[in-house]
Amino acid sequence: MKERLVFGYDPFVLPFLTGMIFIIGYLLVGTIRIIICLNGRERKRLLTIFHPATAFRIVKDIFADCLLHIKIFKRNVLLGYMHASIAFGWFMLIVLGHIEVMLFTPQRNGILYYPIFFRYFVMETEQTLRGSFYFFVMDLCLLIVLSGIGLAIYKRFKSHRLGMKRTTKLRLGDNIALYSLWLIFPLRLLAESFTADISGGSFLTKGINSLLHSFVSNPSNISMVWWAYSSALGLFFFALPFSRYMHIPTEILLIALRHAKIEATSLRDGYSEAEIYSCSRCGICIDACPMTFNNQDVKFTSVYYIRLLRRRENASVPAGMCLMCNKCVELCPVGIDSTAIKLINREILNKRISFDYTPVNLSDPEINLAEAGKAKLLYYGGCMTALTPSVSFSIFKILEKAGIEYIHMDKENTICCGRPLLLSGNLKDAKELISKNRKLILDSGCQTLLVSCPICYKMFTEEYDLKNIRVVHHSVYINELINNGEISVKKSADSCVYHDPCELGRGSGIYDQPRSVLESIMDLKEAPEEKRESICCGGSLGSIALSYNNRKEIAKGSLNNLMRYSPDILVTSCPLCLRTFSSVNEKRTADIAQVVYEHMI
Amino acid sequence: MKPGQLLWPYINFSRKIRTMEEFGFKISKSTRIDLDSACQSLYNQIASKVPDIRTCINCGSCSASCTAATFRRTSFRGAILHINRGFDKKAVEFLKSCMLCGKCFLVCPRGIDTRNIILEIIRSEEG
Amino acid sequence: MNKNVLVLGAGVAGLQAALSLKELGYRVTILEKSSSAGGHLKDWDKLYPGNISSSGLIDNLISALDGTDILYNTTVTRSEKSDNGFITEISSGEKIDSGAIVIASGFSLFDARIKEEYGYGIYRRVITNADLEALFRSKEIHKMEMPAKVGFVHCVGSRDEKVCNRHCSKICCMTAVKQACEIKEIWPHADVYCFYMDLRMFGRGYEDLYYEAQSKFGVNFIRGRVSEAGEDKDGKVVVKAEDTLTSRPLKITLDLLVLMSGMVRNTDNKTISDVFGIPTGEDGFFFQPSPLINPTSSDSSGIYFAGSATGPKTVAESINEARAAALAVHKFLSKD
Repeated sequence: MKERLVFGYDPFVLPFLTGMIFIIGYLLVGTIRIIICLNGRERKRLLTIFHPATAFRIVKDIFADCLLHIKIFKRNVLLGYMHASIAFGWFMLIVLGHIEVMLFTPQRNGILYYPIFFRYFVMETEQTLRGSFYFFVMDLCLLIVLSGIGLAIYKRFKSHRLGMKRTTKLRLGDNIALYSLWLIFPLRLLAESFTADISGGSFLTKGINSLLHSFVSNPSNISMVWWAYSSALGLFFFALPFSRYMHIPTEILLIALRHAKIEATSLRDGYSEAEIYSCSRCGICIDACPMTFNNQDVKFTSVYYIRLLRRRENASVPAGMCLMCNKCVELCPVGIDSTAIKLINREILNKRISFDYTPVNLSDPEINLAEAGKAKLLYYGGCMTALTPSVSFSIFKILEKAGIEYIHMDKENTICCGRPLLLSGNLKDAKELISKNRKLILDSGCQTLLVSCPICYKMFTEEYDLKNIRVVHHSVYINELINNGEISVKKSADSCVYHDPCELGRGSGIYDQPRSVLESIMDLKEAPEEKRESICCGGSLGSIALSYNNRKEIAKGSLNNLMRYSPDILVTSCPLCLRTFSSVNEKRTADIAQVVYEHMI
Repeated sequence: MKPGQLLWPYINFSRKIRTMEEFGFKISKSTRIDLDSACQSLYNQIASKVPDIRTCINCGSCSASCTAATFRRTSFRGAILHINRGFDKKAVEFLKSCMLCGKCFLVCPRGIDTRNIILEIIRSEEG
Repeated sequence: MNKNVLVLGAGVAGLQAALSLKELGYRVTILEKSSSAGGHLKDWDKLYPGNISSSGLIDNLISALDGTDILYNTTVTRSEKSDNGFITEISSGEKIDSGAIVIASGFSLFDARIKEEYGYGIYRRVITNADLEALFRSKEIHKMEMPAKVGFVHCVGSRDEKVCNRHCSKICCMTAVKQACEIKEIWPHADVYCFYMDLRMFGRGYEDLYYEAQSKFGVNFIRGRVSEAGEDKDGKVVVKAEDTLTSRPLKITLDLLVLMSGMVRNTDNKTISDVFGIPTGEDGFFFQPSPLINPTSSDSSGIYFAGSATGPKTVAESINEARAAALAVHKFLSKD
């Protein structure tokens, strides 16, 4: 290929160049800042990203998440195509541009702007095979990107067509970056079309060139368009750190950190900073958040919480409101664990709060199990079960039918498992409760700990370290009893729907066993959003500040989703969900143990 | 008149009080609640954030269902009653062993956001 | 002038309204969704004041209404305004023409199983006020072994945001005290406890009943709402409350626990509201545009209310409203 300009330089490249240098510098400083905040152990772990297996996984994730946006494709094909076309298309344009420079003008290797403005500086005719091939591929990639930009513009007006009920409200920095991004590619198209007859082009660029031929051939017009193109790029790079598009480079760093098993330990620095800047404000978490059943609470969703943190503003209100249901974490295409950051936020807010549990005396006869005798199965009802006696009552009837001996650990009095305390940010005091309960459980000599509350279940399995004792949730245990033939059930003509409690489903990965139980006794219907997408009932103890009225609206919204196909009974496996739904459900709400007891032979 | 002479009656009086104390006589605070002088600033501060605190009817469901009450005298109702009467420190005593389990929130017939208020009360007293 | 009047509901209000209208010379048709007349009153025993037999009151009304059509197992499906009143279609398909309509559909009793923490439907020894009245009426109560300790829980399903019923059901405090005295009359040596939040003894003679309950019968009144009930190994009910007057948590083991279920909106109110185009309030009872001056008027011309369809009422109030509604219908229909 022949170069048109001998020096390979024109002033129009300056906006792009200065923008590029600015953003590269900004990213370097940002990366160093994040790495400085890691402690020694984490830095050692960071080195693992250079292991071939880990490096391969990182590159694979970068392709799948940053370029192809596979997670978004799974949500909505159109939405996924929109993101993938822009990201992957632009990536291909850059890569191919660099390949072109390497192959055809190797003397210009290393000049930052040369691959971007290749079509300006170089002449080639599409008569040669390689010319026509490259021109075609570049035009094709540009067309793909432009189709994505078109969808993006459409999404601003009719977001629901792309599967999103609500999108994020944008601020000034976002808008500048957004519009300059939208302008880059049409301007690129125009610019390359203007030089298509001199420097060569393909179906797209040559086509436009022939349409506007007289206007296009004017050299001052050519120069103007390339200036515009370069300025759009420059403006985008300068606006990038102040906009949501910072996620483009930051997500790459985040993927590397995640594979090095680094976690969030501070509110704003280190890994948290990488997460905060990786948030693309796509708005998927807004639709996911159950708090949006109350329009005025949309401002508490994760995307706005992270934006508050990024601007170093006080985020204590949303941090206290969050139900900690983790649906936003589950659906986030970037994988940001905003719940973990909110927990750290609460730890800071409630640092000075401390409780005193010294009066909780383990030798108190009402909680001590020494007189209870020995049984292999220990049942822990938990605080909530005292208010929903149908759950424990039904479980005991089932255990008696199966001939299983059990001890009811907290028949008289309960020591709370400690999870609500932990979720309020007070791990220190939760540990005191943990140690007391743990002593009671270990001293009882049991082999299995049966719980009927998913909150307790998650706490016992994750924070208690109960050695060889098997902790099992009652829905899983009943499933085993049925499968082993220890109890027999008959099927009735009633229909039901199952609600996945947040702590059992997303929290512990138990989705199938309760469904298997219900399928053997009733006609199990589906709900539009269930399993990992199930909607929190609103009663979660994860939220500290959400008012009762707002929780009721969430319960009603979640109920609507469950009742979609008109089941007779709403079945759940959490006493808190049971209470929350039964106050708003006109049809029957029951616990899984209760319906099994009613269907027992 | 010398400064000492001016101050003498007051010095003598305070001396008298000390001596009276030594003999067991004290100027003690009345056990009567004086609503005229009760300081309700903490109560009002919390009420501006969580207005439902004003709707408590003192039914006692919260104290009755409290997980911690069996180990130490714990009462949400008692706590908000005491901050309303101006006894903030006493209110914190009622919440010292709270486990934040949320049973009080579940049984409250007025739908009061109990745990939020508990944390507000303790946070204010910790300085 | 259309001399036909349609009355919805054959409870005490509906029957009294029909009787008053019949005496004024109108032809009345009563629609009743269940298979017998009398509403809730036919299942109760004695009314206070005066120890009136509840079913006796109903029987008197029914016999006085001899000749009036009462359509049982009937509900309304559609209704339209006509030139001289209403054409109402009922569940049998029949269409009834009337010049005016009296809505006396009454209330439903709160389903105490919703307050699961009290164990109704789970523990054998937990019953509701309606169950107790039925035991009194059928005399089954005398066959029961004496319960050494009996407890009454006030405000079950009333004044409770958690079951979406903010309202007070008005009559349960008085009923609880009455039933406590009745229990003491059957078993003078039983210990009876009333767990209340507030004691609403508003009517004439009610405070006297409270005084008598304390002085003559020795009923114990504990100011504290029961938060949960459990079962001990003998099947007795263990109740937890706070003794708010001493500010200490309290526990007691009872042989019988009676839940005072409140009066809530009739489960059919939504249907009636849709059929006749009359709105309900937030509490689900029918909306009264002028509850102080014209409690029997709806905001629809020609449609009137009587009884607990518009909120918890005493029997005396329901009977009075029924008479007032009949007079209002008479005035409305005489206008032509």
